[in-house]
Amino acid sequence: MGLLALGTPLEWPEAKKVASKVRSWGIEQLLAIWGNAKGKERAALLWGDEIEYLVVCYDEQNRKVRLSLRQADILAALANDEKLLQEGGGVPDVQRGPVKEAETTAPVFHPEFGRFMLEATPGKPWGIGFKDLLDVEPNMKWRRTIAREHMEKTEYPITLTTFPRLGSPDCIVPSYPASGPKLRSQYVPDEIANPHIRFPTLAANIRWRRGRKVEINVPVFRDEKTQWPFKDPTVNYDLHQWPEDDDVRNGAAKDNHIYMDAMAFGMGSCCLQITFQAKNIQEGRTMYDQLSPLGPILLALTAATPIYKGFLADTDVRWNQISRAVDDRTPEELGEKPLENDRWRLPKSRYASNSTYISQDPRLRREYLDPDLVVDEDIKKRLVEGGMDDLLATHFAHLFIRDPIVVFAEDLETLDLSKADHFENLQSTNWQHMRFKPPPPNSDMGWRVEFRPMEIQITDFENAAFSIFIVLITRAILSFNLNFYLPIQRVTENMETAHKRDALSTEKFWFRKNPFGSHSHSTGTSTPAEGSRPPTPFGPVEDEYEQMTINEVINGQTSADSGKDCFPGLIPLVESYLDSMNVDVETRCELARYLDLIRKRADGTYWTAAKWIRHFVQSHPKYEKDSVVGEEITFDLVKAAEQITREEEGWAWVGDVGAEKVRTLRQGWRGRTGVFA
Amino acid sequence: MSGGPSVIRRHTFEKSNTELTSSLRANFTAHQSSPPTPTTNGNTTAPKPKPPFKSWTTQQDNTLWIPTHTPFPLSEPRESYDITVKLFYLPNVPADTRCVQTREAINLVLKELGTSSIDLLIVSFPGISFDADDEESDLDDTPSAPDSLAEADCDADGAPEDIDTIVTTWHTLEKLHEEGLVSNLGISEFGCSRLEKFLPRTKVKPSVDQINVRDCCVVPKPLILYAKQQQIQLLTHNDCTNVLPRGTLRDILGSGEKGVGVLAGENEDGERLRGEVQPQWVVKYTAVVKDRGVVESKGYFAVAELRE
Repeated sequence: MGLLALGTPLEWPEAKKVASKVRSWGIEQLLAIWGNAKGKERAALLWGDEIEYLVVCYDEQNRKVRLSLRQADILAALANDEKLLQEGGGVPDVQRGPVKEAETTAPVFHPEFGRFMLEATPGKPWGIGFKDLLDVEPNMKWRRTIAREHMEKTEYPITLTTFPRLGSPDCIVPSYPASGPKLRSQYVPDEIANPHIRFPTLAANIRWRRGRKVEINVPVFRDEKTQWPFKDPTVNYDLHQWPEDDDVRNGAAKDNHIYMDAMAFGMGSCCLQITFQAKNIQEGRTMYDQLSPLGPILLALTAATPIYKGFLADTDVRWNQISRAVDDRTPEELGEKPLENDRWRLPKSRYASNSTYISQDPRLRREYLDPDLVVDEDIKKRLVEGGMDDLLATHFAHLFIRDPIVVFAEDLETLDLSKADHFENLQSTNWQHMRFKPPPPNSDMGWRVEFRPMEIQITDFENAAFSIFIVLITRAILSFNLNFYLPIQRVTENMETAHKRDALSTEKFWFRKNPFGSHSHSTGTSTPAEGSRPPTPFGPVEDEYEQMTINEVINGQTSADSGKDCFPGLIPLVESYLDSMNVDVETRCELARYLDLIRKRADGTYWTAAKWIRHFVQSHPKYEKDSVVGEEITFDLVKAAEQITREEEGWAWVGDVGAEKVRTLRQGWRGRTGVFA
Repeated sequence: MSGGPSVIRRHTFEKSNTELTSSLRANFTAHQSSPPTPTTNGNTTAPKPKPPFKSWTTQQDNTLWIPTHTPFPLSEPRESYDITVKLFYLPNVPADTRCVQTREAINLVLKELGTSSIDLLIVSFPGISFDADDEESDLDDTPSAPDSLAEADCDADGAPEDIDTIVTTWHTLEKLHEEGLVSNLGISEFGCSRLEKFLPRTKVKPSVDQINVRDCCVVPKPLILYAKQQQIQLLTHNDCTNVLPRGTLRDILGSGEKGVGVLAGENEDGERLRGEVQPQWVVKYTAVVKDRGVVESKGYFAVAELRE
């Protein structure tokens, strides 16, 4: 997240007045980029991963763990570490060392929304060389080590998606009172957010536009002794400091739900995001479309978020909570009031699963598109006039139905077509599960695609495994011309399904049955299109997909009926891709470790972090079967997570007893192949 | 005959013989029928009469191309690619014809890809399949997991090729290397002992030894060490040595339910061909865009003789 832009942020009523201007300037900037970059060809695949950490601070004496708000100090320490700078690392927003061409470049660190968060990325992008893939895990471990070295003795970077007790009393250090002017939250102080003016403004203007605080209600997990109906006992109905304190008196907190009221509850979550640079715009559009249906599958597979504000939730992932935490829709847009002042009803928050397909691909049937997609027709018209094709123009005209939230007065003086600030203002506050990213102006970067749904994993081994898996899947998609299209509304449904507790082993997801082209002469994207043969007639769309378990999607379907289309499975597709490449045994062995994690996570042998955390809480002696995750449980849980990352030897979650077993197995494995260890 | 660049196997862990045969079938079907049948896996409801083979094949001198062949040249400059070719010598072919066969195979691939050289040529000799069990394991190693064993399930046809034949054939490859047609040579499924016998008799050493192990983490240490010492890269693969058994080929070309109707059935009149098919060699080619790790072109050619 780039933070250099500074200026005078407009309060919402002022920002609202200039929203149209920002949008239309953004569109002009987009057209300038489009004009310059639509023919851009970049030979190499480059990709990058982002790891986000929570910085926790232990109070051993009182057996408490809190979030540390020292992000700024830690970043300052990282930016001023001479040795790190020499190795190419640092903090790009402040200073960093030179990127090394031939040798290793140290990782770099970035601020994030939460002042208790830290983001780390590799010092330079990864390539597709198999050696690069094997460098990912050590690099991630290196990042954690460096981060750790620039913290206090009592602090530690952990990769849990959310802090279990965020919003509970005494959960941050230093301590600040809640109910600040920006967030107006009952639970968290304004100081929880990065103090850079952009962030408090973002939070305040979302609230202001919405007309009340954001409202996050997560279903609570009902245990034996949970009071029922559950009325969140932490809600204070007697606050009278801000007008928004009325929210809870007007029913904002729902029965049987955990109630939260600030952006920090969502944007304070850690994710694992992967960005790819495509060869050209066409390949980027293909990747965007084909990765999209995989989003909900990977969300469920990485599930790691079973606790909110000190209660066990009945959901396993973070997604919808973030969605609600930045939901700036007005009552009219939400459909709660008749449309009078606003332009349209909006079915989704600006943080949501994506709603468009954008590839100019003959396999993209009209039936896959959302017939009710909300589009700003004037903007679309302008884009089409500017030379953009209908499909892509629709995509951006859909993103641009939103208002810009943070507008700096200084930026509205002249339109600078050599910049992308206004475009990015809208583009980067549309948080969908895929993002299609045009090259920044005046850079040698190509068109990029970001894969955003995955939850951060507790260990770097797991984070590396999922990163590498996604990279290999994109290579298989491009090599075999795979087709994962299904109606985009089904993807949205899948995203909901992925939230259910243990969706991985109990739910089914819509997925395409046959990922192959209808005839065999379809190879890499650059193979000339076959000429004269008429296209295969399409059957009904509903026949193309069905409900599958995650295990079937990942490991393949088996069917006694040989005539039936069986989905081959993502892992076998990746294996098939690897079989087509020259891979040495050592590398293949290392890659097999990662693929094995995905395979066994999908078939239930290994647990998701969500399942492990639930199990940890429910078997803790201090747990009283009432859904409450108290301070001591949190302390032990965070300690356990930390311990694992410290001792991590590439093992995966198989629960309490299993963990030890896996460790033994792994050691056995290492013993057998001493040469590779 | 060519199996177009169909890259995908429909089921998990199928070996290359299945990949080859399904690729051949798919390519034949695609050329036979217009419009193609709506499903790719051949569950057509009503059996349609097979189109006469002459409508979709081409006779050139005494060679029949099944189907009619149109090359698909690579789209980017040559240096963007890594081109690997694997040549499967088949059983029951006299060693002296290998020389001709090798050149034939390479030329076909070069023509297909529209290029003048390949980066790596790997040869597979009949009857040779690497078995982790055959290798001397290190003493402190007690392999107990049967899942780690290499499988020889599809390689049962014929005795292993003897070392003299291998060496004679290798000299042909060395010539291709000298001529600059092939930058690197490789062998397939050689264990330590075979390598030790083979290497001293070569001018150009193989730079690659491809081995097929289900669990690639269980390669015997002596082989790893020996290969490192000899600067031979050990690569993984998932191919069969006997990639095209005779019976399989008959089924594909025959006039039965699963055949494409090139060969006549018993007691059948008409223009379909009669005789014994004898597979000669199979070649697999793969062109990978180096910087992107994308397989742009992959396919097979197979050659068989028809004897009256």
